[in-house]
Formats: sequence, C-alpha cells, structure tokens
Amino acid sequence: MKQTHLTRRAVLRTGTAAAALLAAPPYLRLATAATPIKIGIPTVITGGYAILGTQVMRTCKLVEKTLGGKGVLGRPVAFEYRDTQGNPADCVRKCQELVERDGINLIAGVIVSSEARAIMPKLAEWKAFFISHGCGDGLLTTKEFLVPNFFRANTSAPMGARTLALYLKDAPEKNFIALGSDYAWGRSSVGAFEEQIKAVGKNLTDKIFTPVGNKDYSTYITKVIQSGAQGCYIALQGDEARSFYSQATQYELPKRIQLFTEIVAQADIRTLGKDSIGMLGSSRYAFTYDTPENKRFTEAFLAEYKEIPDWTDGEMYQALQILFAAIEKADSTEAAKLVPAMENLEITSVKGSVLMRQCDHQGENQGFVVKVAASDKYAEPIPEIVKIYPRQAITPDCLSTGYKAAG
Amino acid sequence: MQRVALAAVVLALCVAAPFASPFTLTLLTEALIFGLFAMSLDLMVGYTRLYSFGHAAAYGLGAYATALTLLHFQLPLPLGILAGVALAIIVAVPIAWVCTKSTGVSFAMLTLAFAQLGYAMLYRFKDVTGGSDGVGGIPRPPGPFGLDFFQGKVGYFYLVIFCLAGSYLLCRMLVASPFGAVLAGIRENDAKMRALGYNTRAYKWAVVVVAYGFGALAGALYTAFAGFVAPELFFWLVSGRVLIMVIVGGAGTLIGPIIGGAFFLILEHQLSEVIEFWPLIFGAVFIAFVMLAPEGIWGLVRKFARAKPARSDAEAPRAAT
Amino acid sequence: MNFASFLFAQSLNALSQAAVLFFIACGLTLIFGIMRIVNFAHGALFMLGAYVGYSVAVSTGSFWLALIAAPLATGALGAAFERTFLARLYLRQDAGAYLMVTFGLAIILGEAIRLAWGAAPLGVAIPDRLRGIVTVGNQPFPIYRVFLIAAGALAALALWQFLERTRAGLLVRAVAQNAEMVHALGTDVRTVRTAVFAFGCAMAALGGVLSAPLVTAFLGMGSNVIIDAFVIVIIGGMGSFAGSIVGSLLVAFVQVFGAYYFEDLALALMYLLMLAVLIVRPGGMLGKEE
Repeated sequence: MKQTHLTRRAVLRTGTAAAALLAAPPYLRLATAATPIKIGIPTVITGGYAILGTQVMRTCKLVEKTLGGKGVLGRPVAFEYRDTQGNPADCVRKCQELVERDGINLIAGVIVSSEARAIMPKLAEWKAFFISHGCGDGLLTTKEFLVPNFFRANTSAPMGARTLALYLKDAPEKNFIALGSDYAWGRSSVGAFEEQIKAVGKNLTDKIFTPVGNKDYSTYITKVIQSGAQGCYIALQGDEARSFYSQATQYELPKRIQLFTEIVAQADIRTLGKDSIGMLGSSRYAFTYDTPENKRFTEAFLAEYKEIPDWTDGEMYQALQILFAAIEKADSTEAAKLVPAMENLEITSVKGSVLMRQCDHQGENQGFVVKVAASDKYAEPIPEIVKIYPRQAITPDCLSTGYKAAG
Repeated sequence: MQRVALAAVVLALCVAAPFASPFTLTLLTEALIFGLFAMSLDLMVGYTRLYSFGHAAAYGLGAYATALTLLHFQLPLPLGILAGVALAIIVAVPIAWVCTKSTGVSFAMLTLAFAQLGYAMLYRFKDVTGGSDGVGGIPRPPGPFGLDFFQGKVGYFYLVIFCLAGSYLLCRMLVASPFGAVLAGIRENDAKMRALGYNTRAYKWAVVVVAYGFGALAGALYTAFAGFVAPELFFWLVSGRVLIMVIVGGAGTLIGPIIGGAFFLILEHQLSEVIEFWPLIFGAVFIAFVMLAPEGIWGLVRKFARAKPARSDAEAPRAAT
Repeated sequence: MNFASFLFAQSLNALSQAAVLFFIACGLTLIFGIMRIVNFAHGALFMLGAYVGYSVAVSTGSFWLALIAAPLATGALGAAFERTFLARLYLRQDAGAYLMVTFGLAIILGEAIRLAWGAAPLGVAIPDRLRGIVTVGNQPFPIYRVFLIAAGALAALALWQFLERTRAGLLVRAVAQNAEMVHALGTDVRTVRTAVFAFGCAMAALGGVLSAPLVTAFLGMGSNVIIDAFVIVIIGGMGSFAGSIVGSLLVAFVQVFGAYYFEDLALALMYLLMLAVLIVRPGGMLGKEE
C-alpha cells in the first residue's frame, strides 16, 4: 500500500502559511472615529457551558448596538470575546492576553466560579477591573477570597437559597430534602439552604450530593421518593438540571413531592416543554418582571433575537448597566478610579433597584420566586413571579455567606 | 550538529526574552512548560512504547504538591518546586508499580484509572485541595539568599527554559545510557528481553517513575507560573492532549514532543482568536499529521533539513544487544 | 419501605442504566476486538446519534423512525470514515496513529454538531405509548426504562446469536483471531472491517437516541460518556462481547448501590472497580491478557 509523504515543497508551503497564521494578530478590528471603550469578555464559546457564553455574547452585541456611537462618556463600547472553554487555565491565559497584549483592563462575562477564582488574585497586578454577572459561589465575596478590583453584580447562590427559604417559611411543607451537584456552587447553595430552612423553623431530613457530570439520576430519585420529605430543594444547573428534571418527571416525582430549584433557566424550560410546568424556584432574573426598565430591555431583546431573555441575559445586562454607571461617575475606565466609584453605587436596572455594597462588593439584589406556567402569548411556558423579597432581606451579612437575621 | 543548533536556539530565546512583548513572553513560557510535559511522556511512549492515558496525574501531582508547599510553607521558589516534584515522585512509585503489572491497553487504562481517581480525590478532600475551585493566589516566594530574580516575568522564563534544557540533557543522557538501550529493547520485543534475562518489569517501573518526575516538574513550573491550580489539570482530556502533543511532535525523539507541546498550545491559542469554529481545524490538523506526516513535526524538520527519509531514535542503529 | 422492595427498585434502576451502557460498550469492544482500534470518537458518535435522532423525531414526529434513522446515518458516516482514513493505517500497525485519527474525528464531530444544531440543548420526547409508570412494590418505575431494559436484552441476545450461530458472525470472529488466514481463504477482510466499524458506530448512535429522552441532547454528551465506555470495556475485557455485557451490568450495579451507600466516593467508584479488576485479572473479567 502506497504511503504518502509530504514533499519538501509542500512542507515549505504549508510551513510558511502556518507561520503566517501563528504570527497573525486576531481578526481585524475596524478603526472607529472616537476610541471605543473596550471590554474583555473571556467566556465559554465552545465546550460544555457554551450556551451560557452564547447568551453573554448576544446580550453584549445588543448593548453595543443600542448604545451606538454616543455610548459611555461619549465613546462607543466595543467587546472583545475570547473562548475559555470554561477552563480556569485558559481563562487566565486569555485574560493575560487581553491585558498584556490588547491593553484592555475591563473584564466581564466570566461564566464559571473557578475561572473567577483563578483570575481574581491577578487583578491587582494587571490593574484590571472585573465585574461578575453570573458567578454564584458565595465564597467569592468573603474575606478570604475578595479582592478590591472585583465586584459581583449578580444574585449569588446563598441569596437564591435564602429567597426560597423565606418563601417556604409560609409553605405547607415541613420536611425537606436537598439535592445538589457536588462542587463549589452546589455545596454553597445546599449549605445555605440548610442553614436558612432551619432558621425559618423547618426540617432538612437529608442532603444528597451528586457527582459532577452525573447522567443517570434514578438512584437519587428513588432515594428522594423514599425519604418521605414533602419538598425537595434542587441545586443543579445546565445539563445536570435538565437530566434530573427529565428523569424526575418520568418517575412522576413532581406529583409526589414539590420540587424547588435555585436556578430557573429559560433554556431548560424550553427544552423540557410541558414537563417544566409547575416548577417552582428562585430566579436570578425573570423577564416577566413588570417595570418600564425591564419592559424596554425585553422588547428590544425579543425584537432582535426572537427569543425570551434568559437569566444570563438579564444578569449580564444589569452588570453592564452598573459598569457603565460607574464609568460615568468616575469619568474614567481606570481600575483604581472605578473601585471607589462603584462602591455604594445604586441604580435602577432590569431587576429593580440594585446597590453595590462597599463592604464586600456584593450587589444587593431583590429576590424573585417564580412558578413556571403555560402561556398563551409565547410558544413555551414562562416563569411567573409569585413573590418578590426586598434586597436587604436576602443579601447575606457583609463578607460572609450567612445571615444573622432569622428572616 | 544537532546539539549546536539546539543550543543556538536556546541562547537566542534567552537573549530575546527581555525585549519580547509581555504577552509573547507569557505565551512562550507556558508553551515551554507544555513542551517539558510532552517530553516527559515521550520517555514512556516513544522510547518504551508504554502508552499512557493518565499522564495528567504526573502534571497534576506536581502542580498541587508545589501549590501547597509554596502557599503554606512559603519555601523559596526553586525549593518549593523541587519539594513538589519530590512529593509527586513518592506518590508515583506505588502507582507505577501497579500500572506496570499490565501491558498494552490494560496498562494505559490503569494509568487512566489513577488519574481519574486523583481527580475524584481532589473533590473529596476539598478542605485541603479547594475542591472544584482549586487553590488560588499562589505566590512566588523569593529564592534562597533573598534572590528574587525568578519572581519577575523574564526571570521566570529563564527558570523555565533552564529547567527544560536541563531536563532535556538529563533525558538524552538517560536514553543514550545502557538503561536506555534496555528500554529500546523492551520497546522492540519485551518477550525477547525477558528471555535474555532482563527484569523488564523493573525497567518499565523505573521509566514510568522518571517520566512522572519530569511531568511533575512541568506541573510544578505551571503552578508558580499561573498562580493557581484546579482539578481540570487531572482530567483525562489533559492526558489525551499531551499524548497528541507527543505524537504530533514526533515520538521517540525528545525534541519532537517539546516542539509538539509548544505547537499545540500556540496553535490552539491563535486559532481560537481567528476562527470561531477552531476545533474543526484542530481535529483536521491531527488527522492530516497522521495520514501525511506520521513522523510528526520533528520528522518533517529532519526531512526538510536532509532531504532524506526521517528516522526517529526508534529506528536508529542500536547499541549491540 | 422494606429492604426487598428497596433492593428490587434500585436493581431495576441499575438494569436500565446497564442497558444504555451496553449499547455504547458493545460497539467499542467489537471495534477493538476485530480491528485493534481504540475508538476515541465513540462518545462523539453517541452524541451524533442523539442529535440526528432529535432531528428525525422532530421532523417526522416519530421516535421509532429516529431509532432506525440515527444508527443508519451514523453507521454510514463510520463506514465512510473507516474507508477513507482507518483502512489506510492498517498496515502501519501503529496504535498511536489510530488514537490520533479517532481523537481528531471526535474533536471535529463535537464542533460540527455545535455548528449544525447550535449550543442550546434539545429535548427529545418519549413516545406516548412509553409514557407513564409501573408500580413495583409501591415504587414508581418509568415504562420507558422498562423499554430500555427490554431493548438492551434483545440487542444483546440478537448480537450473541449473530456472532455464535451465523456464518457472517463466524467470519467476524475469525477475522478477530487471524485476519490473514481469513483473507487467504478468500474473504474480503476489508469489507468485514468496514462493516464492523460501521456497526460499532451504529450501536453507539442507537445508545445516543435511547439516552436522549433521559438526558436531552447536549454538547457535553460525548466527552461525558467516552470515559465510561472505556472503563466498562476494560472491566469486561477488551474485545470480549460477553465482557461488554458483564462490564455494563457490573458498572451499573456498582454505581447505583455504591452511590446510595458511599455517596462521597460516587465519582471514584467506577475507577476503583476498574483498578480492582485489573489488579486481579489484567485482561479484564472475560478478556485475554495482551
């Protein structure tokens, strides 16, 4: 059998082309009249969480479009997207490139909490500013991990758990079981729920942690059924959440026990279809929140993408709103000036009134409890808001993940 | 001749380093760490035909061990790295002993089992390892006698290139030694070597431990470079990628995998900037290499240089058996 | 809730898991047994099956059609791939080459699926006839999982009969033992190899379609499942068809009961099992030592 080997000429040709490719800078950026404010978005474009990265990017593109030329401080805003694949090592490398080679010092759109933890210690050295839109791990704003140039605009896992616990205080169910994914966010969420549900006088009979990447939940579903609990708290996201709900519905679990979830994602509702109706949960952002600010955003979003904005879209939009407000207040994009500008900054965003706390850089957000219901207006079920809790009630004590007040 | 050319390249890099742009230096440092990681695997794959699907364990062990020594004991940087490597080697000894009980695919799967177990253990003992978040904020403490040269970007690059060059020389010596000759024999025909009276199991055990040692060095260097470690370092995808680096670079040449490692990192980085669907190109590049350039990059380089069919050390004349 | 009832309920869970695992594992082990190829793309092919199944189910409204179309399409792709690339590498006898090529295919497939179907996960509905539960000792058990168990058992039986009783099966087994001899006797070994690879891919795809109602079709499916597949095949014995059945059952039961009693170790269970098996029997439970 004849084997092909490359000839010298072929090697030369391919080699030169490859060298040119390796030396080439990233794809062309058009020169703009006023120098744009550049924001680096190291997010997940390919890989397991790609859908969240897609949502981050589409919100950024919408913002870029609607802001246009006038933008912030009279300058347009430009976003530089980088693919981290959800890997902390890649995130560090891409951020280093954004900072060291492209001279960008504003970072947003990071998806995974471990990516955030990897870059936070480097922010001072990079003189970079990082605002989180979706990292939920409660520990990020505690004394041990917080750094000055980091702010979290979004609802964290403890806040979501707290919201649900407050709601369940008046619910008929007395005994609960919790099921979470066995990594930082899942543990944070379940831990917070355990603390909170006991604080409101109810019981948590058991905690179940499922291994990361688990596909078949039959064992755990059976365990939940056998526990005799009346309510089940779920701290699962993305692929794991969908697998669990699909399978739980097949076991008719929702008929036997009320399920509560810490994250309600429109993408999951769409995939699960009718099976998602009746799901009750804490929502970081619900498009059904009826304020003029949110209506404007939702309508613009629907017009552009013909899709309902998901929680990541809303949180990303809010994070950008807060960032731009701080830039305007500081009249600068330098990290050193942005930090004091963002502390104690209060704005009305798509989620209502939000205050960026000085003591731990956590955004005080309202808590939303939603129930998924069928809709005449939309092709898929939608999350209807059943209760809203004031931000002081659900944001943890400064620099901690706990709450002194019983609630 | 080859030695002179390599020394010239190293010298050129060292001279250029202080003038390079910061990010180029960053990327190059990481590329060289990957190169070292790939070279360590070549000892097993290229020289002894021991395919490993779990070499991430070496990398991860070195990385985490060094992370903990630097963070908790504030050892001077070079010592911290050495301590990390030593710890990793200690753990590697029993692992290698178990793995070398088998051959072929079983061996590969045993290495995979240990790497995945390591991954699971990281999650299990989250108080020490930080669980899914890993360990961050790892410092580069000043070296012995107040030497702080390695703390800077250029200084660290020199440290990495020094470690890589040193490791390369050590590996060369090992491979050219009688020990290396036995490895070559095992690679060609294990049964025959055993018939000749060699305890092939012991040799394989030794080469796996050595490979883990150099792999751990790469991991240790990475920790101080990046300032953090995360469980992804142990994941089987890392093992798959380093294996690809070795084969794309040219197995059994030591130099090839170094180039393969650097090439892989830089290609992935640059490609993901330019094209959104870069994995398509990536996969196609691998397939192209296999089909058209089976001797890898180094094989191509040698062919280009000599216009003769390339030979890896695997086919070079052996010392008398 | 008495112990017998609990045991039975969790055993059914385990059997349903084993069924899905079997579809993935048997293809992988056959490909290795007949062609000595470690097919790194097996997980990606599983994922492709799920996505193609989704498209067929949505456009025709029939899950049953998806069950037929997805394996056929994936099998065809596998055959084409084998002819174009793998067949040319056969004479090289180089394990590394197969590894790279199938790894390359896995990466390409993963990205191609993202480009073709998008990043959003896609739900596949269970056909109406398979909806609902049966009550087993006052515990609910989905009818769909009963269907999975039945499908798995049927496939295992059919495959076993094929390999043991039919002429084609005999040919396949002969090629595994001694390809040259078979070639000398006049059979076109290349066709057998292409057919086996295509079949292995088709089985993986079938596993994917069957899994889709349980986990939805999503982008991480492939890399998620490939490791499980390798572990099962190693435990059962690479190249052993009976081993793929034994491996699937063993892994499923260990995972179900292990996760129940040793939650902390859930992530590690499968690998501990593999270690234990390989130390005692290096070739796997039913495999031959290399």
